[in-house]
Amino acid sequence: HSSKRSLTKIYAYGHDQDQRKFWLALILTSVTLQDIRNTVGNIPMEWYKDYPHIGYDLDGKKIFKPIRNKDELDEFLDKMENPDYWRTVQDKMTGADIRLSDEQVDLVHRLQEGKFGDVNFNEYEPAIDFFSNEVMIHPVTNRPQDKRSFIPSLIEKEKVGKLVHAIKMGWIKPRRPKETTPQYYDLWAKEDPNSILGRHKMHVPAPKLKLPGHEESYNPPPEYLMSEEERLAWEQQDPEDRKLSFLPQKFACLRAVPAYSRFIHERFERCLDLYLCPRQRKMRVNVNPEDLIPKLPKPKDLQPFPTTQSLVYRGHSSLVRSISTSPSGQWLVSGSDDCTVRFWEVSTARCLKTVEVGGAVKGVAWNPNPSICLVAISYDDTVVLLNPGLGDRLVSTATDQLISSYEEPEEVKEQPVQWTVAEGEGHEQGHRLILKHPKAVRQVTWHGKGDYLACVMPDNGSSLQVVIHQVSKRRTQNPFRKNKGLVQCVSFHPIRPYFFVATQRYVRVYNLIKQELTKKLMANCKWISSMATHPGGDNVICGSYDCRLAWFDLDLSTKPYKVLRHHKKALRSVAYHRHYPLFASGSDDGSVIVCHGMVYNDLLQNPLIVPVKVLKGHTITHDLGVLDVTFHPTQPWVFSSGADGTVRLFT
Amino acid sequence: MSQVQARFFTENTKYLIDDVPFSIPAASEVVDLSGVINKLLEAKNDGHKHVEFDFLVRGQFLRTSLANHMETENISTEEVVEIEYVEKFTAPQPEECIMHDDWISSVEADSEWILTGSFDKTARIWSMEGKAVMTVAGHTDVVKDVAWVKRDGLSSLLLTASLDQTIMLWEWNSERNKVKARHCCRGHAGSVDTVAVDPTRTKFCSGSWDKMLKIWSTPLMTFSGHNEAVSSVLWMDAEELCSASWDHTIRLWDAETGGQKNTITGSKVFSCISYSPLCRRLASGSTDRHVRLWDPRSKDGYLVLLSLTSHNGWVTAVRWSPSHEHQLVSGSLDNVVKLWDTRSCKAPLYDLAAHEDKVMCVDWTENGLILSGGADNKLYTYRYSACVSDAGA
Repeated sequence: HSSKRSLTKIYAYGHDQDQRKFWLALILTSVTLQDIRNTVGNIPMEWYKDYPHIGYDLDGKKIFKPIRNKDELDEFLDKMENPDYWRTVQDKMTGADIRLSDEQVDLVHRLQEGKFGDVNFNEYEPAIDFFSNEVMIHPVTNRPQDKRSFIPSLIEKEKVGKLVHAIKMGWIKPRRPKETTPQYYDLWAKEDPNSILGRHKMHVPAPKLKLPGHEESYNPPPEYLMSEEERLAWEQQDPEDRKLSFLPQKFACLRAVPAYSRFIHERFERCLDLYLCPRQRKMRVNVNPEDLIPKLPKPKDLQPFPTTQSLVYRGHSSLVRSISTSPSGQWLVSGSDDCTVRFWEVSTARCLKTVEVGGAVKGVAWNPNPSICLVAISYDDTVVLLNPGLGDRLVSTATDQLISSYEEPEEVKEQPVQWTVAEGEGHEQGHRLILKHPKAVRQVTWHGKGDYLACVMPDNGSSLQVVIHQVSKRRTQNPFRKNKGLVQCVSFHPIRPYFFVATQRYVRVYNLIKQELTKKLMANCKWISSMATHPGGDNVICGSYDCRLAWFDLDLSTKPYKVLRHHKKALRSVAYHRHYPLFASGSDDGSVIVCHGMVYNDLLQNPLIVPVKVLKGHTITHDLGVLDVTFHPTQPWVFSSGADGTVRLFT
Repeated sequence: MSQVQARFFTENTKYLIDDVPFSIPAASEVVDLSGVINKLLEAKNDGHKHVEFDFLVRGQFLRTSLANHMETENISTEEVVEIEYVEKFTAPQPEECIMHDDWISSVEADSEWILTGSFDKTARIWSMEGKAVMTVAGHTDVVKDVAWVKRDGLSSLLLTASLDQTIMLWEWNSERNKVKARHCCRGHAGSVDTVAVDPTRTKFCSGSWDKMLKIWSTPLMTFSGHNEAVSSVLWMDAEELCSASWDHTIRLWDAETGGQKNTITGSKVFSCISYSPLCRRLASGSTDRHVRLWDPRSKDGYLVLLSLTSHNGWVTAVRWSPSHEHQLVSGSLDNVVKLWDTRSCKAPLYDLAAHEDKVMCVDWTENGLILSGGADNKLYTYRYSACVSDAGA
């Protein structure tokens, strides 16, 4: 009873619930340690009042109540005689008497006195004021909790209400039973079982074994047996080349046939056949190599173009460097290294005039203006403007008048070129104006209107490489201040005020009015030799010494639209026809190649370039073949001049 | 050896044979057939001398074996073949070689005199025997074309057209051998390449590099329409004019009104034309290898009736025979003059390969003289006796 009391006291004096539990557990463990644990749990033990047992041990066996046959008298005697009676308590769970140890008694005393169970606990430790004015790194507050922490949350209530409503309405199924069977995707669910599938279509049956024939027979007809030579031949053949893989043999009877020595080998081969048999038919794309070649029209459909050599203009004794046709197409002028310029009638190949000049003629150019009869001839450092007196007499005299009607301007400017009027014998020969340049002139070319004349003086170190003369005002200007490389040739744009300058690797397009560089074309070749401008002005071809001909479409790109490598040797000259879609190139290999070069007005359509004809005729002299090509202005004819001293007309 | 049934006929009464079909070997050639005819003729009259014949099967000369020819011409060998035989044209006999100082650009001969134009700026008159009679000098540039206008007894009128843009009308007295310039016709703005006198001999027409045609009479008429130089001009009759040009067309003009009547369009530059009133065909030479025949009356001006191909260079001159409707002569840059029969278009009758340089001009006179001049400064004349029997057939 005292123990029960003391326990009650523990309940009463425990500072709080946790502490009480602690002490209770401590006491109980110390009590129950000596006994078998009762497993009935925390139940009112009165329930076992009428049973002989008090509960069950860990093995499930009944724990019988200790025999309590003590009556009041025994109790009293025990009380009187047993000195430990006061410290004996009955364990309700097991009904056994437990004698409390000294520590337990001491603890009970301390609890009864209202002290802490722990002897060492100091209940009067100095108080630390947590909630001070000092700001700590982990602040705490003694602010009382809000009211809202005590009343249920409205939002949560609303949420729960909604969920409850949803469950009521059957929108949410709480605690749906989980599907336990695993789900698999049926790969062939959508497949029509009756359709012929691709893999069936592609089915390749395994190779069939060849049925044995007469050769395999143990007693083959004699014609299947090999003769001695056949057998020798068979033995010498490669096993793969043999028609039969064995030698037919004849036996007297089936019993005499020996075991087949190659049986395992043959089975193995058969297994390999089955194993390596193709499972699938590989669809190879059948591409006809000819389909990959771009579709070009046949040269036959692109007529007219020159096809045969018709006339040979003979007379020069040295190589003919340059040729040019009159704008009407009646005359041809050729300049040669034999220091002469010859004028030919195109239709008869008759040399009508020969003019001697003081040096090897490098360039000739007939003025393209039909109302002016002038030919520019360059030799050494001189350019001569010559009136050949051919064609219409009126035009010829008008040209002379035009030149003689020049009046000196009041202020004379310093010019890089010296202009002089030809007199005396030179005048009778047709010389009209003589332009002395500081350096050797390689090329002369006229502007389409016939007033401006551009001359090229290639020189690596100077900025004076190109000069443009204005004949009517006898003025000369140097359009370029800087040297951008060795100038090879120049050309005027046929319509717009553009000027093309070809250096070794680039073609620069200048706007003459704005005086600026408009475009720079990369020729992709080592050394440009010649250049021609399409009469439409949007296309340029360049010939180079490394056998290439590059076609530039100025609208397209600064790189060549097409590069043709038809010639075997260096190209010397290229030319466009004025009306027909033709261009030609002359080369050191002695041939002239004529190509169809159609330029469409439609900007979306790229030019069509088809090589149509190789024209041969010139003999190669000193490794030089064709030096210049030019087209007839009205007919689809091409002239070529060569190192063999001839000019040839191909029609 | 297969046989072919053939019936021979001729229009020449001298060589008439019986009109019965013969069976002849299909492989027989011209020589064999000629032998057959000669045998038949000998059998008919004793005094017959051997004559070479040529044979025409359906208007085409036989040049290969009969079987071959019939196969190419698609003639059935089942039926009786009608074969016409004519006396073989004898080869033109070369007569004279007249040397000039320079290239000969043009030639025109009449029954007595030969007139040539040369690149040495003169025109020359020669006798038929090749004797230089007269030099007509006056032009300042190459003489491109010459023409006889008419002859009144001893004095003749002649025309020379030149590169110096003028045409000169000369009067030449053959007795006194004096030449006098009557007119100098200026007006063209380019070299005058061709000149033609009309059949009435009262006016003439000239064509020039300046694309114009001019009829020199009163009033002067100028026809423009060509896009390129006029290379050749001729009178079809008194009212109709025909011109060939570098613009690939042949145009027919009404000489009275100046209107264009018809245009024949080719594919190449026309360098020369000739018209035969006998067969009413135009022959044209162009800057390719072909001599082409055209029908000037047909409205579809693209149709070539016949192409005569054997030359290897530009055809620079063509001339119809004045007396034979099938024959023409052509000169080319390949140095050869060819005599053609239109019934044998595959090959010419004769090649006259005397020139050493370009042939620039040919002519054919009414008395059977063929003339050709070229860049080798030589004028060759050939006597050609087209068979009298066949003339005008």
